[in-house]
Amino acid sequence: MADAYDYDAIVVGSGMSGGWAAKELTERGLRTLVLEAGGPVDPRNDYVEHVQPWQMHYRGLGDRKRMQSEYPIQSRCYACDEIGHKFFVKDAENPYTTPADAPFNWLRGRQVGGRSIMWGRQVYRWSDLDFEANAKDGHGCDWPIRYRDVAPWYEYVERFIGVSGAREGLSQLPDGVFLPPMQMTAVEADARPRIMKAFGGERVLTIGRVGILTQNHNGRLACHYCGPCEKGCVTHSYFSSLAATLPAARATGRLTLLPNSVVAEVLYDPKRARARGVRVIDAITRHETVYTSRIVFLCASTIESVRLLLNSKNAQFPDGLANSSGTLGRFVMDHNFGSGAGGSHPGFRDKRTTGNRPNGIYIARFRNVKTQHPDFLRGYGFQGWSGRSGWDRGQWTKGYGADFKQSLIDDLGGWYFGGTGFGESLPREENRVTLDPEVRDKWGISAARIEVRWTDNERAMEKDMAKTMAEMLEAAGCKDVREDHGMNPPGHCIHEMGGARMSRTATEGVLNRWNQAWDVKNLFVTDGSCMASTACQNPSITYMALTARAAAHAVAAMKRNEV
Amino acid sequence: MERRDLLRAFASATALTLLPHKTLEAWSRVAANARSADGLSNAHMGLVRAIADTIIPRTDTPSATDVRVHGFVEVIVTEQWADTERAAFLAGLDAIDANALADARKPFMDLDPDARGKVIEALEDGSRDADPSKTYWRLKGLVVHGYFTSESIMKDVLMVQVMPGRFEGAAPVTIKKRPSKTLTPPSDDAMRHAEHAHG
Repeated sequence: MADAYDYDAIVVGSGMSGGWAAKELTERGLRTLVLEAGGPVDPRNDYVEHVQPWQMHYRGLGDRKRMQSEYPIQSRCYACDEIGHKFFVKDAENPYTTPADAPFNWLRGRQVGGRSIMWGRQVYRWSDLDFEANAKDGHGCDWPIRYRDVAPWYEYVERFIGVSGAREGLSQLPDGVFLPPMQMTAVEADARPRIMKAFGGERVLTIGRVGILTQNHNGRLACHYCGPCEKGCVTHSYFSSLAATLPAARATGRLTLLPNSVVAEVLYDPKRARARGVRVIDAITRHETVYTSRIVFLCASTIESVRLLLNSKNAQFPDGLANSSGTLGRFVMDHNFGSGAGGSHPGFRDKRTTGNRPNGIYIARFRNVKTQHPDFLRGYGFQGWSGRSGWDRGQWTKGYGADFKQSLIDDLGGWYFGGTGFGESLPREENRVTLDPEVRDKWGISAARIEVRWTDNERAMEKDMAKTMAEMLEAAGCKDVREDHGMNPPGHCIHEMGGARMSRTATEGVLNRWNQAWDVKNLFVTDGSCMASTACQNPSITYMALTARAAAHAVAAMKRNEV
Repeated sequence: MERRDLLRAFASATALTLLPHKTLEAWSRVAANARSADGLSNAHMGLVRAIADTIIPRTDTPSATDVRVHGFVEVIVTEQWADTERAAFLAGLDAIDANALADARKPFMDLDPDARGKVIEALEDGSRDADPSKTYWRLKGLVVHGYFTSESIMKDVLMVQVMPGRFEGAAPVTIKKRPSKTLTPPSDDAMRHAEHAHG
């Protein structure tokens, strides 16, 4: 039978999820084709993390005119800057639409490695507080899985990618298998017990848990603390699919990876009620090819996978492939991100940092863990940063002349300390992705129309975030504490999730507990579109764990001839 | 004096002090015509250089113009900024000079170091939302950024290590050659954290 197919498995996308699908499927014996819409990335030539400001024409301040013409949306992301823009899509080639009153920042990278090249690297396990949230308050459908289903896969992923962090024993933020934690700054280490004491032990400040190596691990080198991971890493010290999962897949001899391959459609065989392959447009020549396989994994990213399923509608599925439930494209979410507080710290003038830590501190969720907050459901965590202001302050502080210059060289300036909230948003049927009836991308494929709005729950949470961060900074001894009410539009957190959610029944969602389409047994969707809620933790490790878990299930099911 | 002679003279900052003051009035008329659509005129460039070296003069380390901060300022103003921003900035430079003329009876470039310092102090005490102080702070930001991101300052003065190899969160601060006299801890530090936010 195998000869009837070009490949055993096709994986659409080569990023965070696609890399894991490639690794697991090839290591379990499947001849696997990975299709990546973007071009190849060669770390030796393409990574730019060591480029210094003086080597840039605008010294890191950016080519604003080019950003406005080519990257007007993508450049809203901090990482899409003077030299980092190469890892982001050109907006004109990749259009999407929104209602005028519902802006959505869809921030994307199309290249081998996807957004794992410039991800934020923060890695946090979910807990049952998260997997049970929908069932408890009735928003969204109940997750068909619980922490115990994912926990061994979290560990499996952590052991492979390498996660540095500190164990805290928190039920809402389960510990993982950690490499040694990065150091806190003097201010952060001092703040931890002060905040603990001020809030009855409820608010725990810990070092960020990151997919960055603090010691050599699985053939990759320990971090050398240059700083800007989002511009690449020649030592492969932060996890990316390019650095770790794709090489592992290649080592099996069963991987075929085709860059510049835009998947336009998942092809469906109505007689067998199975996906039979994909139709691919060459991104450069526009030549069309069909590839067939026994199973198909969609790992194209949340909105791209939803868009692909909607574009794969056929006679049996007129509203989008695998959409008998009518939920495809619905319940799209993002983290409610951007509010917090900042301040200066008058102490520790005799202490400094050395090296550039590509990580900050994390404050675990404390709202709605034990007691119910009167104003909102669910919770939020904080990522925070501290450091000394350095010569930067010379740009806005008074002074001139020899002493001024020398002070900027010698005196590191005061400490700043602040944090930004990442809040769980509620799953809502109205928040959805559809196809724009008119707009098409560079390859003639219907563009996504995204309609996602915050609600009163997110707005109430946002207010609380700024207040609680400010009071924690006060407790830590900060001065000039200022609340930041910087609620960003949906999408800006780049944690977009949902649209093809997992569910307990075929009528409630698109995917079953194994990320397998209810309607199409050999079709799996394992990127962020599978998520039935957002929790407040950064989601990448959950995508990775669910992908590895789904791949193991898929191969076992193939061996039992179930798919 | 011919226009091209003026241009030649103004091309070098050191030549400024040799020019008789009355020719500067002539220069201001010429400069109005000499200003190109998308570059800084020599007059504006001279003012930028003079302000930059007043903020960051030459000591045992280079001055702002020693590391060509004025070239960086020109790149930003002429290539990065929109036409309206550039026009506002150039008008602001003119306002700075007009202020110097009014207060010190000379254009900024003709003032001695003490007088230049007084003009800077007045600019720093003025409202940051209105010219000439608004333009001054914009320029100062570029001067400081350009200076500390230049190759020689990063390498030889700050001794920045591209690959430090380790991170320490609470390392001791080593003894300084000279104590800081002019700075107090800036309250604007609070604003810094927002720039580090990421998803």
